[in-house]
Amino acid sequence: MIGYAGLSHLGIVSSIATAAKGFGVIAYGEDAALCDRLNRGEMPFFEPELEELLTSNQSRIHFTENPSELSRCDVIYFALDVPTDENGVSDLSSLDKLIERVVALASNGTTLVVLSQVPPGFTRKLAGRIERLEAGRSLQLFYQVETLIFGRAVERALYPERFIVGSSDPQLQPPPKPYLELLSAFDCPLLTMRYESAELTKISINMCLVSSVSVANTMAELCEKIGADWSEMVPALKLDKRIGEYAYLSPGLGIAGGNLERDLATVVSLANEFGTDDCVVDAWISNSRYRRDWALKVIHREIISRAANPVIVVWGLAYKQDTTSTKNSPALFLIDALKPFSIRAYDPQVVLSGDVGSNFFQTSSAIEACRGADALVIMTPWREFSSVSVAQIRDAMAGRVVVDPYGVMDASACARAGFSYFKLGSPSLGSNCD
Amino acid sequence: MIRHIETEATRPARVVVLGATGFVGQDIIRHLNESGIEAVAISSSDIDLIKPESVEKLRGAIRENDSLIIVSAITPDKGKDAGTLMRNLTMGQHLSAFLEEANCSHVVYISSDAVYADDANPVRETSCCDPSSFHGLMHLVRERMFAAALQKTKTPYLILRPCAVYGARDTHNSYGPNRFLREGLKEHKIKLFGQGEEKRDHIYIKDLSRLVASCLLHRSQGVLNIATGHSISFFDLAEMIARLCGNGVEIEGSPRANEVTHRHFDITAIYKAFPEFKITSIENGISETFDEIKRASQG
Repeated sequence: MIGYAGLSHLGIVSSIATAAKGFGVIAYGEDAALCDRLNRGEMPFFEPELEELLTSNQSRIHFTENPSELSRCDVIYFALDVPTDENGVSDLSSLDKLIERVVALASNGTTLVVLSQVPPGFTRKLAGRIERLEAGRSLQLFYQVETLIFGRAVERALYPERFIVGSSDPQLQPPPKPYLELLSAFDCPLLTMRYESAELTKISINMCLVSSVSVANTMAELCEKIGADWSEMVPALKLDKRIGEYAYLSPGLGIAGGNLERDLATVVSLANEFGTDDCVVDAWISNSRYRRDWALKVIHREIISRAANPVIVVWGLAYKQDTTSTKNSPALFLIDALKPFSIRAYDPQVVLSGDVGSNFFQTSSAIEACRGADALVIMTPWREFSSVSVAQIRDAMAGRVVVDPYGVMDASACARAGFSYFKLGSPSLGSNCD
Repeated sequence: MIRHIETEATRPARVVVLGATGFVGQDIIRHLNESGIEAVAISSSDIDLIKPESVEKLRGAIRENDSLIIVSAITPDKGKDAGTLMRNLTMGQHLSAFLEEANCSHVVYISSDAVYADDANPVRETSCCDPSSFHGLMHLVRERMFAAALQKTKTPYLILRPCAVYGARDTHNSYGPNRFLREGLKEHKIKLFGQGEEKRDHIYIKDLSRLVASCLLHRSQGVLNIATGHSISFFDLAEMIARLCGNGVEIEGSPRANEVTHRHFDITAIYKAFPEFKITSIENGISETFDEIKRASQG
């Protein structure tokens, strides 16, 4: 029996994926209402294919608000997502409390695995704490790197590229049999290493991703100025084996979602503590914040400087497609910076609540948001948006500006329809300002 | 990079402008008067900040709860040497002595983009401050002197760092729009360093004054760069001015003495602080300036 403690995105996805591999799963979370919903097969958030996966594996998974049920488990994962503040700094207090509660109930011989996003050094300290708490029980502690991606979490959980597992000493502490059986079920390479190496491996993976995105952002901006088109160049880069076909080379509106920001903050904090050089990380953070405001600059230059009281449409509120997460979403920063203006927004999954401003209005369809508007800004590349025709948009809008950072629309069709069109990494089409 | 203490625009009780007879100070006074905000002009002939007794005179002239704008400085056209630096710092020292014990409602220091490193592109409020000139160093030291003084009284403090400012009443003859306009109109020839390759941002004086007023209305604090976000080469600027002047104004290059450097600004902070503020384009600003100079010469 495999246990999961912590029912946020990571714990829910991972526990269902484990059930899908044929294991019996007990998933514990404090929120009884959430457990009821999950036991009825209802998802608390949108993640493609996850609800279907739960439905087809419901018989093997039980969600419970009673932590003592975890005492029946051979392996218990701590899988609570660690929240971060606006600077990416982690708040580990909830995870600490969860671990304390569960360790007290774990049976003799249980394997404990930290799957949550923890900073380097966390697991070894925890091992020391557990040694003091285990009171005659033989508990083994491992750290396992999670590499879930919002919007692709099911695929990543069912078909991981590899498992990275940290232990106190990889020579002396191999994964015990029940844990190894579970890992083997996923049929992927297993890399074992010491705790600190595994913890830093996760961060290193994310640093590589941020580095690639920062290159894409830096070069894309140059493309916009000198008449090159980044999308024409990317295939050439990906054929270089040193870069690779899966490299993160899509320019974006800054780093969002929370996880990459957390790892950037961790590296800066560690570099500060140990006196190592982190100038390049500072530059990535600075570039990310700079590119986050790309759409705002285009809107000021093309709309606000020219029109009195413009109506601006924002398509997409999630920080990326196929997720309901708005953590550090560029769309929300944009809306906040445009508060004095009339904003109409549409997102297929996200409904904003709270104080968004009296000029903000959310519609129930993409085209409805466009009626009479001066400019359309597509802040999240949901697939649904590419199915709206340029002619429909032209007929609905009063103005003729499309800001499409991710290239959801057909640029040529927009230009032919009389729109000024702006995309990351490409020269603008039909602008009067260039 | 700035925070508004007053989220709704709130008229200050009274504004005192130190350095009110200079190009920038005069225009700020003009704009405040036009906006119906009570403004008191103090120039170096009223209070000479170089002199130690200026501290006492400032105490007599500035009331509790006044908003204070500091523009006073010996400008680079009057000296770029160490002596000028020290005189400017002495003025700063006396002002600091006054600020330490004053109870102003708000203090705005008009500094300069010269505080930034020459290669800090695009320049943002967070860019590295590493001035290459005594003028930039003077502003940076004064920024910090005033910050330290105002910290004692917890007075809201705003630093504005404008790029090169242009406008019809500019008396300086520094390289850029004002000099080009004079040369174009009087000599029918605009002289460039090299071929005028350097790109720079130039802010229209009326935009600077409007932004200063907006900051006063919101008692903004922090640091804000003042620029258009659009840099053009001196050659393009000269061409623009030559077209306005007409009569075949010649643009004359010269052997290059220094390497080409450019300066660009990221003005996102202005967009965020004042979303509805419309910046005057260089084309419109130069055109207005040209018309004003022509009117003045005819009148």
